[in-house]
Amino acid sequence: MTLAALTNDQRDALQELTNIAMGQAGSSLATLLDAFVDLSVPRIRVVEVVELPATLAELVGKNNLVSAVRQSFQGYLRGEAIIIFGEPGTHALADLMGYEAELAESGQAELLLDVANVLSGACLGGMMEQIRSFTDTHGPAELSFSMPSIMARDVPAQAIIDPQKVQWTHSLLLEVNFTIKDRNFVAHLTMLMPEDGIEKIRGIVDEFIAAF
Amino acid sequence: MSEGTTNLSLAETVLKRVDVGIFVLNKNFEVQLWNNFMAHHSGHLAEEMLGKNLFDIFPELPKPWFTKKVNTVFMLNNFSFVSWENRPYLFRFAHNRPITGGADHMYQNCMLMPVNNENGKPESVCVVMFDVTDTAIATNLLKEAMEKIADISNRDGLTGIYNRRYLESRLESEFDRTRRYGGTFSMVLFDLDFFKKVNDTYGHLAGDKVLVEVAQRISNQLRASDIVGRYGGEEFALILPETPIEGAQVFGDRLREMIELEPVIYDNTTIPITVSMGATEYSADLASYDKLILQSDVALYASKAGGRNRLTCYSPELESIAASGAKH
Repeated sequence: MTLAALTNDQRDALQELTNIAMGQAGSSLATLLDAFVDLSVPRIRVVEVVELPATLAELVGKNNLVSAVRQSFQGYLRGEAIIIFGEPGTHALADLMGYEAELAESGQAELLLDVANVLSGACLGGMMEQIRSFTDTHGPAELSFSMPSIMARDVPAQAIIDPQKVQWTHSLLLEVNFTIKDRNFVAHLTMLMPEDGIEKIRGIVDEFIAAF
Repeated sequence: MSEGTTNLSLAETVLKRVDVGIFVLNKNFEVQLWNNFMAHHSGHLAEEMLGKNLFDIFPELPKPWFTKKVNTVFMLNNFSFVSWENRPYLFRFAHNRPITGGADHMYQNCMLMPVNNENGKPESVCVVMFDVTDTAIATNLLKEAMEKIADISNRDGLTGIYNRRYLESRLESEFDRTRRYGGTFSMVLFDLDFFKKVNDTYGHLAGDKVLVEVAQRISNQLRASDIVGRYGGEEFALILPETPIEGAQVFGDRLREMIELEPVIYDNTTIPITVSMGATEYSADLASYDKLILQSDVALYASKAGGRNRLTCYSPELESIAASGAKH
């Protein structure tokens, strides 16, 4: 079964779906941070896990140091979200997130977790909201999240994920760049899901296409 | 039981009695629910808490941070988390292991979740708090053990000062740091004079005692950032961060004198000890850190050749002495 290949129509529809979701996520973030949030159009693709390190290296820049946070989600969809922060990191956001300007090591870790949690929640939450708006055939579109944890601090982009240790074969890679006020910060979000999760998304996308 | 469960729904009873902290806040941070766990640990009963502003009752809470945290949940309609590893606790509660604990407060993991009204909009935030003191204590013990193991692997078994592997790695990182950020540092290589004779005359146990004693005396003189290690058999090395060669010379000479003036006593025998030293300073034109080792070795050789019990600073002219003489 080749899962990776979404048809062009499916990919366009998924792109559209995430655009709307991320647009909402962006406005939530703007309200939350009380700052203007500029969001790039998210690029989305299905990537085989074995290709993930190379793809991430390509996105972030090979050997560029990044930090990553993982968080699992369950419910309507089941999987693991990995949020990757490039340089400049989250430091620029400290004051906006209610932290003191000078952060101790543990404070930095907490900020990283906080921002990651907001991003994954906003993104997946936005997607769920979209899904709820046009479908009711897949059960209630709700997710719960587990506590996020830091996977890696300042490691080369290609070294974050060891495909040998990932049980799942495919991942949905969502690339979003955030610019907040004049603070630049870049984050990438990838969702690792079991095969049936990707199939479910394919079903949702087909339904989305049919609905419009 | 006087409290009775008949007029409480099953869910309410469970919520109240479960051994997990649960409380609910509305948008004004007024407490809407406060279960037994919270009541028992905080000393504030639900009756006192309901309708009250959380920060009024607990002024010690980190207000700006926690406010933002809760507001995130309202605004994004999203879960939020606090981990003990970043923030050991939200409320400073005593924990349940007063005897075996080794911690002076309860470690907490918190999960904040939106509680939605029928329109799907979050009306209040439910905070679920887990006592993770056991996990935290175990994790901290493990961390300590790992640090201890790492430290042991960096040390010389006999003298307890750093070993050669660690010395070289520190020398390398000091070299890289200075190259990147500027500044300077020095290293001193030194050797016990006629150590073979000490072993032959007084025995190897006496020799060991001398090594331990010298290592200890030098360790006692170091500044916090200085590093001393055993480089080889009777050879030691010092790394002196932020120290130009003049400083290294003064400091090295003081150590040399201290060792000379106080002989080592072993088994009622007085063993006179002297050391020869070679010092050198970082310079931007050195290709790599091991050049520093070579230079201080050259200077050390010059000290030996010059009659021992002295310190020599490296200069390029010394190279010819080292080349013409036999290896010490």
